[in-house]
Amino acid sequence: MHKLSKLMLAAAAFCLVAAPALADTLKVGVQAPITGSYANEGQGIENGVRLLAEQINAKGGVLGKKIEVIVCDDQGTAMAAAICAKDLVNQGVKMVIGSYTSTCAEAAQKTYFNAGVLQTSDGTADSLTAKGYWTFLRNSFPNSAEAEFAANYMVNVKKYKRIVVLSDFSTYADGLANATEAAIKKLGGNVVSRDKIKADSQNFTPVLTSIKAKNPDVIFFAGYYSDGGQIRSQQVALGIKADFIGGDANDNPDFVKLAGSAAKGAYIINVPSPDVLPYDIAKSFIADYQKKYGMMPASIWGLMNIDGMRAIIHAMEANKSFDTRKAADYLHNLKEPLPGITGPIAFAKDGNRKGGSYVVKMVKADGSYSYEYVK
Amino acid sequence: MDIFLQQLANGLTIGSMFALVALGYTMVYGVMRLINFAHGDMVAASAFVGLTIYTQVMGQATSLPAVIAIFLLSAVCMACIGIILERVAYRPLREAPRLSAVVSALGASLVIQNGIMLIWGPRMRIFPELVPQVYWDFGGVVISLIQVIILVLSLVLMVALYLFVEKTRIGAAIRASSIDQDAARLMGINVNRIIALIFIIGSSLGAVGGLFIGLYYRGITFNMGWQYGLYAFVAAIIGGIGNIPGAMLGGMLLGLFNAFIAGYVSSTWADAFTFILLIVILIVRPTGILGERVAEKV
Repeated sequence: MHKLSKLMLAAAAFCLVAAPALADTLKVGVQAPITGSYANEGQGIENGVRLLAEQINAKGGVLGKKIEVIVCDDQGTAMAAAICAKDLVNQGVKMVIGSYTSTCAEAAQKTYFNAGVLQTSDGTADSLTAKGYWTFLRNSFPNSAEAEFAANYMVNVKKYKRIVVLSDFSTYADGLANATEAAIKKLGGNVVSRDKIKADSQNFTPVLTSIKAKNPDVIFFAGYYSDGGQIRSQQVALGIKADFIGGDANDNPDFVKLAGSAAKGAYIINVPSPDVLPYDIAKSFIADYQKKYGMMPASIWGLMNIDGMRAIIHAMEANKSFDTRKAADYLHNLKEPLPGITGPIAFAKDGNRKGGSYVVKMVKADGSYSYEYVK
Repeated sequence: MDIFLQQLANGLTIGSMFALVALGYTMVYGVMRLINFAHGDMVAASAFVGLTIYTQVMGQATSLPAVIAIFLLSAVCMACIGIILERVAYRPLREAPRLSAVVSALGASLVIQNGIMLIWGPRMRIFPELVPQVYWDFGGVVISLIQVIILVLSLVLMVALYLFVEKTRIGAAIRASSIDQDAARLMGINVNRIIALIFIIGSSLGAVGGLFIGLYYRGITFNMGWQYGLYAFVAAIIGGIGNIPGAMLGGMLLGLFNAFIAGYVSSTWADAFTFILLIVILIVRPTGILGERVAEKV
């Protein structure tokens, strides 16, 4: 008994001495859905952050400090995200990587802003950068960038003369469709119809029949794969010869299964998947990732988050300071873009990532994709 | 004109699916004066059962006999589940106030819906392309093979059911039970057996409807039964609940109405107009289009 208390005393003393040494790390928070429906994406973010931290620490850390990774599971729900934000701030993190969904990133935004903690997320909702928080840096491209890409592809590359823009009523799909319609009109394209469907209603033939009467060259669908696959199949069944282009939420294996033999020839626009990234940093990071975890990164979204983290650390090193305000100012005023895993990184004043990297994929007869257009 | 004809073809296809499901509601109501709210979920369950039979029992065969076997096996499975449903959820409450039976029906609906979710998961499951995608173009109006199959098979089943109820001895027993159960019993009809038969017929027709939904739309979800159940219920009321030709007519009318509203007004408004139609029918002809005016028992 006596021995035990002595041991505890010694342990306590060690802690007191060691605490300042431990505190002398750069704390990086990860707020991601480690469990729940998006668990593979959340775990992809955590894996990537741990790998990058390991690589940086092996080279001596950031300005002499080692990186310490603190992970909080937001389960993909807004409530858990708000709790995570408080928890990570209390633990004294300087930056937070995540979350995967716009909803969770948005629920945590204000807490990080009030604490002056930098947050970088891949959420694509335009509302994330609409609040004017200097702490928020979007590491993916907003929906408006996809809209411009889609409009340019339809008007200038494929030279479609009669375009139909279709969406459901959700914030994401309606927003993407409206932005695309506006971008098409700006490029001088001709939108013959802007229609809406009710998501999950399965029977889209009435809407498609009235679309058929407008004799379009292409139907651009901004909604989700579960409706997109059925729309494609019913479009072909109605004998509408137009091309079909789906937005990024159609990029799901179930799209091809739902559309069945009608899937052939459908186009899908999305950010490039990890295996087609042409950059050297991307190739070496993905190779290291595969060596450490024995699998490919879950998707490009995890890599976008890694790019956000790399940018913030680069800013701190360039400023020779851990001051988050200075780092944000540095990133908002980059002279030229930083090289990134997912392409050049630069931020607009509102925290949006500049530019946009998208691909157009076409479904082949066997259900696999061929790349039609990469930019 | 092509658009009108195309919408007509679309409307008839979904209308015949509504009609098949509506028959299940109307037959149960006719004999038991009970709205079987679980029927829509039985339809959804049949699509999942059919999918499992295709993958597990048939070894993913897509030949015509295999497809027919899927239909038959699913109908048998759903008929068994229908009998169990009647035994467990409705028979113990036959003498209870009508409200208790309705609550029991709602409970059964939730049990089946959540059962599907537990067995097959919450994600959308995808039906294979069992019917080849073949189309015919009649001067702008395109009709697919699956539409023809759905329409013809539904009509055949409905005519067969009508003849069965009107022309056979068992059919006469069904009609007698629906008029007065006690009198029917006094005449030597085993009403329990008739009710079980009603559930067998209703559930098998629902199973065919569920498979049609799977084959036509390809994507099936555990909670889709509610949507189709509601439409079929409205169809049954429009035609006159308890009346078999009424359910067929109501289903067809509802499908056409829905297609034309969605095509000429807006798909957003299709549901709203459907229920406005229901209200109008209830005000103008409370017993439905083919329903007879019966004196309320006081």
